[in-house]
Amino acid sequence: MINVLIVAGTAPRQDSVLADALERFRREGVRVRLIVDFDLSRISLDPALAELRGLRETEPDDRLRRAMGGIEGSRAVWVRAWHDRVVRQWVHEADVLVSMDMMAVYAVWEMGHRRPDADACHGVGPAARAVQARLAGVPRPKRGLRDTVATRTGIVVRGTRRNATSRARRAMRIGMAPAVMRSGAGAWFWRTAVAAPALPDRIRTAVAYRVHQRTVEADRPQQAAAASAAAAARLEDPRARATLLNREASWELAIGHVPVCLREAVAAELAVADEMLRKKSTLKAAHAAHRAMKLLFHRVVHFEQPTSPLAENPAEFLAPLWDSATGRALAAAQGRAQAAATPPTDRPLHLLILTNGAGHPAGALRQRYDGRPDVHVRYVDLGEDVGDGPFRTDPAAQLGHLLAGSSEYGNRVREWLRPHLEWADIAVADRAEAAAAMTLVDPGDTRIVVCLPDFELLGPWPQLTDFSRVDELVLSSTDLLDLATTMLPRLRADQAPELSVVGDAPDLRAHQRPKDPAARYTLGLLGTNSVDARWAVEVLRRLRATDPRYRLFVGGDDLTPPPGASVRRYHEEILAELAELERSGAVTRVEQVADVPEALTGIGVILGSPVRETFHHAHIEGAASGATPILRNWPILSGTARGVRTLVPAEWVADTPEQAVRRILDLTATEQSWRDNGAAAAAEALATWGGDASGRQFDELLRIPLADPVG
Amino acid sequence: MPNPIPSSLSQLTRAVRSRPRRGARPHVIYLAIGFPPAAKSSAYRLRETANQFCAIGWDVTVITICEEAWEREYGLDHTLSEGVDPRIKVVELPLMRADLETDIRNFSEARALRPREWIERQRKQELKVFPEPAFGGWRYALEKAVVREHRAHAADLLMTTCAPYVNLAATWQLWQEHRVPYVVDFRDGWSVDVISGETAFTEKSPAGQWEKRVLEQAQAVWCVNEPIARFYRDRYPVVADRVRVVRNGFDSDSIPSVPHRPDPAAGLTFGYLGSINFAPALLDSVLTAWRMARRTDPVLARSRFEVRGHIGAGALREANAHSELLGAAARDDVEFGGPVPKAEVVDVFGRWDALVLMLVGGQYVTSGKVYEYAASGLPVMSAHDVDHDAVNILSGHPLWTGAVGLDVERLATAFSEAARLALDATDADRAAARAHAERFARGALLAPAVTEAARLALGASAAGTPTITGPTGGRQLP
Repeated sequence: MINVLIVAGTAPRQDSVLADALERFRREGVRVRLIVDFDLSRISLDPALAELRGLRETEPDDRLRRAMGGIEGSRAVWVRAWHDRVVRQWVHEADVLVSMDMMAVYAVWEMGHRRPDADACHGVGPAARAVQARLAGVPRPKRGLRDTVATRTGIVVRGTRRNATSRARRAMRIGMAPAVMRSGAGAWFWRTAVAAPALPDRIRTAVAYRVHQRTVEADRPQQAAAASAAAAARLEDPRARATLLNREASWELAIGHVPVCLREAVAAELAVADEMLRKKSTLKAAHAAHRAMKLLFHRVVHFEQPTSPLAENPAEFLAPLWDSATGRALAAAQGRAQAAATPPTDRPLHLLILTNGAGHPAGALRQRYDGRPDVHVRYVDLGEDVGDGPFRTDPAAQLGHLLAGSSEYGNRVREWLRPHLEWADIAVADRAEAAAAMTLVDPGDTRIVVCLPDFELLGPWPQLTDFSRVDELVLSSTDLLDLATTMLPRLRADQAPELSVVGDAPDLRAHQRPKDPAARYTLGLLGTNSVDARWAVEVLRRLRATDPRYRLFVGGDDLTPPPGASVRRYHEEILAELAELERSGAVTRVEQVADVPEALTGIGVILGSPVRETFHHAHIEGAASGATPILRNWPILSGTARGVRTLVPAEWVADTPEQAVRRILDLTATEQSWRDNGAAAAAEALATWGGDASGRQFDELLRIPLADPVG
Repeated sequence: MPNPIPSSLSQLTRAVRSRPRRGARPHVIYLAIGFPPAAKSSAYRLRETANQFCAIGWDVTVITICEEAWEREYGLDHTLSEGVDPRIKVVELPLMRADLETDIRNFSEARALRPREWIERQRKQELKVFPEPAFGGWRYALEKAVVREHRAHAADLLMTTCAPYVNLAATWQLWQEHRVPYVVDFRDGWSVDVISGETAFTEKSPAGQWEKRVLEQAQAVWCVNEPIARFYRDRYPVVADRVRVVRNGFDSDSIPSVPHRPDPAAGLTFGYLGSINFAPALLDSVLTAWRMARRTDPVLARSRFEVRGHIGAGALREANAHSELLGAAARDDVEFGGPVPKAEVVDVFGRWDALVLMLVGGQYVTSGKVYEYAASGLPVMSAHDVDHDAVNILSGHPLWTGAVGLDVERLATAFSEAARLALDATDADRAAARAHAERFARGALLAPAVTEAARLALGASAAGTPTITGPTGGRQLP
């Protein structure tokens, strides 16, 4: 039996091509083994076609970790593979060794040296031909003693060279110790070294990257930026410049820092994109632009810091994008061939709700209009099965489509969306990804309404949305509306949509229950994914310094650490802090709050401490329950004229923990004052959000001529 | 490196060299990389050109590259060689594209570690030799080969066909050393980017200097369509009167004598035959349109779409994005059947009911397949830009859907229209379609150009000096 061993360094892009090849091998009676250097979940394979082994399925031991230190990707595939006993056995049994992709070539090259009688091919097509030749009994070239000796010697020489390289690398690490990088002489030396003339690009970029890392680790960000700038200025190839700056920025993002050269890295990638665009190589332009967008809208920059440079100064932050030819091409308005038609009067209105998340307002709209005789609702969640499984939005593909004017991705969207748009009189795209997908298609005479309910403005999708195909853009506050028009100059252009503000509308009826008198000293913090529990803990500590009866109830499972180094760090610290307070009885934590209205009967003061939100449901529900509402002025909006005060009564808002403490002490001074204030807050919450205000706004917005809505 | 020998020394060197042996018949050296059995679309034109020189009494020596090189690329079609005049001498040079190597044992450690970077470095090196990536490194081997063949059997004409454009270096070398007159069959041109319609490089760039210098001394410059010819007349006014349009045309032995009669109950068979080397998005648009059309058109719902041709080269042969798209479309009755040997083309056309013409580019692209499609007598559905030179060939064709661009919804409508044409076409319609294309028979299109090239060459030889302006000397070329 012929044994074929395939090595894949990256998840195959052409799944069916691989499956077809494996199927052919099986028909020929060939045994196939597949080694993959990526998560096994990224490949779906009939187990009958090949034996599969994932190199990343087990944690690397210390020896492997040491061997992997600082080596490049393709060599790492080999090191991981050869470290695996099963793989070594498979190599010795292989007749045909195959690399599926560029990343796997080196591993197969090394395996080929250790298995001299095997074919070593790049690609499944050549592998199939090698198998055919073996099946046909085509004689293989004989290898002489000289070849064998040369191969064996090569293995030894490479091993020796690698050891020497490791020693050199260790020496360089010592030369870049934090103390050295913090010293003026050390910083000067390395800055000068990376900018030395006549240094080959590959050496310059490798050294510059290490210098950047060590300087940032030595807490000298400005020096790191200067060294990067000096090295980048010496690189003539724009791609090499972009690669270096992007690599540095990506590393900083991975450790939770806002990169010191973020703007430069973005500009460098966009320069590459512009160059590719000029050469009409739109695919390469899209890849470069996507790399730029990933840096520009990275969650570490906007969602893992107290505030976002995009929210603070959109024009300055987005200048590299706006100033680039790529940015202008992305913002080009395609418009629509027909104007939106007026709603029909002779049949029920067809309302399409397209969302990539089941939250507000899509859920509320569905609840409001579904089942009514004069509105037919079609609700499509991109995350659910829309045909062949979930629809996967893809920013890189969206970019490629916008730059090229056509694409496979665009075809998929159009093929799938067109029947929905033909059916719909009004299509509501709830959330930015749904909106971006919808605007890839000329909507015909369907009226398009886009809702951007939260801080998706800080992500890439609004920049990839063609607002010239949108009739109405709905945001949830005037501050967000201001932010949107600053971030998206297209919203002020000729073909811009109408802009509206429609607030959120939680169901508050169930929360009005009598409060336990003991609740007066219980602060409540019901989690959201962007809540800052530390702010609440700070308020609690200050209150307890005055009166130890104050306690904090923390509810919700949102303290599970999300990805991102800085957030992980934050969570570890806050969990430790909460655990300490829990032990002293000052804090009660409940992971799952099954019955929020019931939980609120024991909460006298409801705290809201998000960093960014558009509507903090739990806080409003707390206010409606009669708890005293204290809401932190969200840092993300604190720079705007009124901040969060555009959403809630000004007296609910505390700019600092001190303000919050003063207000809590004041309002909970007596049971009567606490109850009076709670009643007033509940009345305010019910009047503002408890009725049907937003529902009626949507009726008006969607021009649904219904006077007496149901549900 | 360009010719390092100064002009006067070069002339002296030429004078003392032994005089090439001259035969009884005129001799053309045909620098034709892609000559049969290379399974390339250009092979038909190259074969016909060589055959025609043979037919008018010339000795023909074809210089191409070895078969192994084509095995790395699109493969071989030995049925193509059957149509080559046996009197033609074929010289195969051991040149191969290093970037298409798939035997990892032949890789250096540096290439194995960083394959992309290695190829990029290789390209940079090649560009230093001649300004054409992937092929530039062949320059010296080609130069030596043409000079060697000329010395062995003196040539009256060098026919050079591009691509690859590195052939121009060998052409120039023979001109510099032996003043052998030459004709450049430029086909799609070099400095014109036929896909975008823009200038690919300036006259001052290394490639621009090479192109200008070589074309200025050419007896004639052939292009495949009028827009490309116009581009060259405008770019180089000095050669304007020597630029000819020599269209590709169809081979009559590829066209079935009786077109297939459709069976509406069984459904139709749509076909595409040609290299699948356009952007995956184009193929995807056509497959998407096919799927959409089948949802609304009952005839199409029971029809098939057969795609034949070469996909990808090297490690990616039949293992690229196109293969993935075609594999996924199998459930829509789309079938990929691989390449078709030239001898079997007639059978393939003979069992199809309608043809899908997928083409890249615009007004500068005509393609070769459009002529065969037009001559087949079958309905042709266009899947290319509206402003495309194929339109000039198909205008007036009675079974053509017209060009609707690449919008998937319009393409879906075009599929239905092609199905209707296939079902409604009468024998008279099919005959009219064939008659429409008769003027594009390859032999007839090439004959005047070959005759003229022969006449120009012999005139130049008889006069002892070129009929055109003398060489600009051994000035350093880039």
